Amino acid sequence: MNQQQALLFAPIYLPLLSSALILLCKEFFTNKVRRVAEYFGMIIGMGLPLVVVFSLFGHIQTHGALETVIGSWTKEIGIVYRFDGLSLLMIVLAITITLPAWIYSRKVGPAHSSFTALLLIQNSSIAAISMTGDLFNLFVCLEVMGVVAYVLIASNQKGGAVFATFSYLMISSSAMVFFLLGTFSLYRLTGSLSYAGIAESLALLGSKDKALVAASLSLIVVPVLLRVAVMPLSLWLVDAHSRAPHAVSAILSGVLLKIPLFALVRVLAISELGGSIGLAISYAGAITALFGVLLALAQSDGKRLLAYHSISQIGYVVSAWGLALAQGLHTSAGILLLAASFFHAFSHALFKALLFLSVGTATDAGASRNVYTLRGANRMLQNQGEKLPLTMICFFVGALSITAIPPFNGYFSKTLLTYSLKGTLHYNLLTIAGVGTVASFIKLSRIFLPSKNTIEKVDRNLRPTFPFTIHLALVILATLCLITGLFAQQVIQCIGSVLPGKEQIIFENTFFYTAENLTKTFWTVASGIVLFFLAISKPGKRVLSVLKQLKGGFSDLFLGFAVALSALMGYLLLV
Amino acid sequence: MIIERVLIFLLFMAGFSAIVGMKNIIKKVFALNLINAATVLLFILEGSRIGEQAPILGEGVHSIVDPIPQALMLTAIVIGVCVTALSLALAVRLYKATGSLDIEIITERLEREH
Repeated sequence: MNQQQALLFAPIYLPLLSSALILLCKEFFTNKVRRVAEYFGMIIGMGLPLVVVFSLFGHIQTHGALETVIGSWTKEIGIVYRFDGLSLLMIVLAITITLPAWIYSRKVGPAHSSFTALLLIQNSSIAAISMTGDLFNLFVCLEVMGVVAYVLIASNQKGGAVFATFSYLMISSSAMVFFLLGTFSLYRLTGSLSYAGIAESLALLGSKDKALVAASLSLIVVPVLLRVAVMPLSLWLVDAHSRAPHAVSAILSGVLLKIPLFALVRVLAISELGGSIGLAISYAGAITALFGVLLALAQSDGKRLLAYHSISQIGYVVSAWGLALAQGLHTSAGILLLAASFFHAFSHALFKALLFLSVGTATDAGASRNVYTLRGANRMLQNQGEKLPLTMICFFVGALSITAIPPFNGYFSKTLLTYSLKGTLHYNLLTIAGVGTVASFIKLSRIFLPSKNTIEKVDRNLRPTFPFTIHLALVILATLCLITGLFAQQVIQCIGSVLPGKEQIIFENTFFYTAENLTKTFWTVASGIVLFFLAISKPGKRVLSVLKQLKGGFSDLFLGFAVALSALMGYLLLV
Repeated sequence: MIIERVLIFLLFMAGFSAIVGMKNIIKKVFALNLINAATVLLFILEGSRIGEQAPILGEGVHSIVDPIPQALMLTAIVIGVCVTALSLALAVRLYKATGSLDIEIITERLEREH
């Protein structure tokens, strides 16, 4: 094992090591040592892996992927870890979102050292998911990530959060049993668990046992998509994301929805069926984008509205992702779609984390989450001791990003995404979804309107000090939203350069600022405003209140799973 | 072989229908364990199609069963235990918050809270 191959494990081992350190200090030392251990652990567990990953950037660009086998076994027996461009991007995404969310949690909670340790364990499992080349290892890492997510959601001690966790745990663990069944059937068929080994044997099998391969692939894909929350698998998401503590919501929507999706890219490369699975999922994604935004428009709870937007935005990502697989990752169109999909996933992670944190702060200050009644949130924040209205400014940065207004990153990622989808049904669905996004964010922004009832000003000296960490986290995320927007061209080139395609994706900034794209943005915003007024009109309200009633109970989670599984299997057997 | 498979299938279906159908959340957790156990049994059964002896190499040991499924299942069992422990802990919290283990009553009471 040479030096570079040894470095591969740094993003997995370092977070684990530092979380062990933190837990140790928590048990045996005083509070002060505990604090120091937490900061030290974050530097070792998140900062160092980031440095390591970036140091491998050049290698990936010039030589392609790095591969190694755990424990120096031979490839046939051991677990293969493969670090390629996609792994790099996934690890960077996870760390970029986790750090600000952690900073935010410092003063508002959950700020105990086990929370820090959990975040580190999660990042370790994310790194492992991004690199693993073994189906069973993927199962284990997904379960580790899942268990950490359950604990994080339940760290909000309220009954609602606990019940959301319980439902998520039950559906997700049952789904993972199906994943095991899929793994089992592929193992029986091919005698191998590594992606490469399975792919080789499946290629030899040809069209023999096609039905069995299709069934086992669906058994593997659907449980993973459950974590990604593509409709009809998204019923668990809303409660879990809206009831978790704000910092956790940011991580859940920013990171945990995307990692399993991009891990699937490699799994689906094992069979020729990957393309048709991708196509089926991309349709589901486009429909998800549209319905998610409709449901979001109907919500009255601010955080629930954001949670439905996560579903909708992941629909954008998934439809480009699925078409990328359908085109094939060896074609330049496929690579472009994958790059667009990742860029949108990355910008969504940034602005959704920003929105969750800023809306969370504002609703906490207003002591209400109802977007119909909460007004004058900025004044309430001032009463909490906020001197500069940074929370409001950062909220608007996030809102302008998600509604795709230049120069924020959402405009660029959505434009690239829709450009690469042009001429498909998805394009039309996503355009309509964009209108809904504008309308629902006008609705959410009203919490910052001045209130009709006067809110008494608390005397300056009586105001509590506003936690500095909140502003720091918000400003980091908002700046990143702006930077990835202003330098979108470079960001896309970076993403494209590490992806496996031979042809480089080169964009001119003029591509984004064409008259066509800008007029499209203008019309989207204009129709969004019209839709907003329709939605607050009387008949509109009636329709929305019907939509609002649509939420699944516990057994609907399983119904959704069964429907998704049988739909995918049926589709694969037909093509 | 057929009988074992049918039995495992029945065990799996019993577990799955109990997860969806049972109202008591503790029973749901146990049902999750059932489907886990069914999968473990399936792996072990299929792994033993070749060979007869346990895959512990020593003198005079030959014709061992396929060791990989067993190794995998050890891990799967460990994960199952973790998930069970966590879900039981959640069940306790739910009981403390709502005073009931019945999922319908829990949803109803939580909804009233909001």
